[in-house]
Amino acid sequence: MLWVAPLLFIGVLFYLPLARILSLGLSGDWLPSIWTPHILGIFWFTIWQAGISAAACIALGIPGAYLFYTRKFHGQHLVKAFITIPFVLPTIVVAIGFTSFRKIALFAPILQGGSYIPIILLANVFMNYSIAVRIVGTTWSNLDPSVEDAAALDGAGRIRTLTSVTLPNLRGSIASAGALIFLYCAASFGLVLVLGGGKIKTVETEIYLSATQYLDLRKTAGLVLLQTIITVIAFLLSRNRGENGLVENQSGRPNRRVDMRDLPAVILTFAFISFVIALPILKIFLEAFTYAGRFSLQNFANLTGKGARDLLNISVTHAALNSLRNTLIASLISIFIGVLVSYLISRKYGSPLNQKFRSLFDLAFQAPVGISTVVLGFGYLITFTTGLFPLRSSWLATPLVASLIATPLVIRLVYPALISLNRELLESASTEGASDGSIWMEIEAPIIRNVLLTALGFSALISIGEFGAANFLAYGDQATLPIILYQLISRPGTQNYGMAMAASSLLILSVAVIIYLVTRIED
Amino acid sequence: MKFSRKTFFSLSILGIAALVVILVNNTGGAKIKDLTLATHDSFVMSQSQIKEFGKKTGYNLKIVKLSDAGSLTNKLVLTKDAPIADAVFGIDNSFAGVATKAGIIDGQLVATDFGDVCFNYDKKWFSSHKVTPPTSIKDLVQPNYKNMTVIENPNTSSTGLSFLAASVEIFGKKEWPTFWKSLKANGVKVDDGWEAAYYTDFSGSSGKGAYPIVLSYGSSPADEVRADGKSQTAAITDGCFRQREYVGVLKKGKNPKGAKKLIEYILSPEFQKTFPTAMYMYPAIKGIAIPVKWAAFAGKPTRTYGDTLDINSNRKAWLSTWSEIFG
Repeated sequence: MLWVAPLLFIGVLFYLPLARILSLGLSGDWLPSIWTPHILGIFWFTIWQAGISAAACIALGIPGAYLFYTRKFHGQHLVKAFITIPFVLPTIVVAIGFTSFRKIALFAPILQGGSYIPIILLANVFMNYSIAVRIVGTTWSNLDPSVEDAAALDGAGRIRTLTSVTLPNLRGSIASAGALIFLYCAASFGLVLVLGGGKIKTVETEIYLSATQYLDLRKTAGLVLLQTIITVIAFLLSRNRGENGLVENQSGRPNRRVDMRDLPAVILTFAFISFVIALPILKIFLEAFTYAGRFSLQNFANLTGKGARDLLNISVTHAALNSLRNTLIASLISIFIGVLVSYLISRKYGSPLNQKFRSLFDLAFQAPVGISTVVLGFGYLITFTTGLFPLRSSWLATPLVASLIATPLVIRLVYPALISLNRELLESASTEGASDGSIWMEIEAPIIRNVLLTALGFSALISIGEFGAANFLAYGDQATLPIILYQLISRPGTQNYGMAMAASSLLILSVAVIIYLVTRIED
Repeated sequence: MKFSRKTFFSLSILGIAALVVILVNNTGGAKIKDLTLATHDSFVMSQSQIKEFGKKTGYNLKIVKLSDAGSLTNKLVLTKDAPIADAVFGIDNSFAGVATKAGIIDGQLVATDFGDVCFNYDKKWFSSHKVTPPTSIKDLVQPNYKNMTVIENPNTSSTGLSFLAASVEIFGKKEWPTFWKSLKANGVKVDDGWEAAYYTDFSGSSGKGAYPIVLSYGSSPADEVRADGKSQTAAITDGCFRQREYVGVLKKGKNPKGAKKLIEYILSPEFQKTFPTAMYMYPAIKGIAIPVKWAAFAGKPTRTYGDTLDINSNRKAWLSTWSEIFG
């Protein structure tokens, strides 16, 4: 009976709106409506920008993976934690960071001339670099070093060893990291919306535009089908190892110290980290503390107001409270559902589900990873406005979408922890007559406490940055921090710009604190 | 922290409580005294006006700004079955057709104010560069005004759409694309919205941008009066589009009675007289005095365009032709 609650949850909140979009899209002539040179151009751009970004992340990530996972050096943990920050930053903050990045003179030659594409690609790489490092790195650290040593003894140089021994062994992890990065870049919405200046469009931004600007729901549904095909393929490709870019499997391989022969990798990685990762973050902080050309706290003081010309419906602090409330609700729901699902699929006893059914059940709850929140926001708009669940007019709609996106991550964290528990302990407890409930309570729950706290941290990170669905669902006094930030950055005026920088710097700090706490739990 | 039975139960109860709230939902939450107005970002109603309205009618007025007139109309259409407001201000003649076709208005849209979408130029820039300022929109395609003009994208801005409509009326159904092709060839910059064009790219306003000609409003020069008592900018009074704004009661709103009271208030002389100073628009009600100083700087077009056009049935075709030129 326990599985009724999670099935109802995902059925109503995820599959119902999805089915509604599909029926709307397929009911008409959806193919001709999207088979136009304009849309095909957008489709092609979506694909190649994601492809290039994924390739760049892999190319830069391999030396990074080598340094962070097979070598050791001073401050390694700190730098490793630091490069994770971009991935968990709200996309709108990344967009704001690169808006200010545009102003750095050093980059002017490559970023000028009204060209928006290089900066979008840079921002993609900024966000997703750590995925490549983490996924390739964990596999690399699990490779048997004696194979490489043997090759070296046979006289193979480092490059030969790398290309003929190591890389082939990393192929699987490179492919799944690449697919995952491709998925994130193909579904990136806020970045393109802000950095594309209205000229660069992806399928995702076109979905939003055709719904909200052209009121063409049929075309929107057609675009959603197109987008879903792209993301589901990438999702299935990345899934063969169950990766999500955040969860790490520790290895026991002792790492050697960095030496002179590692110099090319060191230079490349640290140049990249300083210029592409640290600089935009630094720039946000610099601009946050600058007002009228001088050092000032004025931008922070302005956050209690509504911006120049009273642009905003609510103050930034009010929006922050909305976001806090939404994050809390979303995290609790996703933990609750995620734990319940993990518990159910890890059960050996007392469940009517057989193996096949269990993996289907698992896939059913992982699917939200492959669907963008813009799609979900649109689905909620057309499904929950009236009818049985008039959710759209409720503030709960926004945290519910966030909880859907966070639940798969919770499952990815909790499920392995559950199955890694000592089976014998559980079985002996079971034969001694303890009920399922009390086994869970007395034995399993305490062991996975840390995993739960980690999951709580990550689901908070996911929901605080949620932007795609909130655009459709959070109006007026329910606006969230990312929505307010978008309004501030898309409107000119030094006061609005400064406020966007100040609020972004505070968000970066909170994200860094959560990351710090999570890594402390992991250690 | 020990993960005890108690923590687990409180977590489960919170989760279940959240689910219950979802299923019960909270549409009945709003109090009868609350009144919500959906509007665009340029709408101004001061705190004292809101208080005064509250005192008079007993309604607690909340204002929800939804970007520009186009986004406002579209969002209201998308949410029409469970509207996010009781009344709407700021749907204009470019979008009134969308609103009435979708049936979002209860009764009629009522005209509240009007203004003219006109090009502005930076007088200071033209005098210091010793260039004669343009006097007609036909000048904008001339080589001596190359790379000087910034406009708004008609796909994303109602100001931009207004001028696109005006150009159709001025140049005719067949010839208008030719004008736009020459405009593009003459280096016109296209921004997403009015604020970016006016406050960032236009040289005559706070952004001190690089473009001395901008598509804005006939009344904008009244907002650029400098210390010497003169305006830094002026309006080109040729080729202006007459924009009319409306207010209306939203169908299925929770407080139609309050919405009607609000419309009465917006049409009252005491609110009408704030249109020029607060929103740079002319009041629609006759006999409202316009501030002398304000009237002195606002451009007064001899002839305006827009009233004879069927914008609603042509918008899509115009926009797709325009987008092909600028694609």
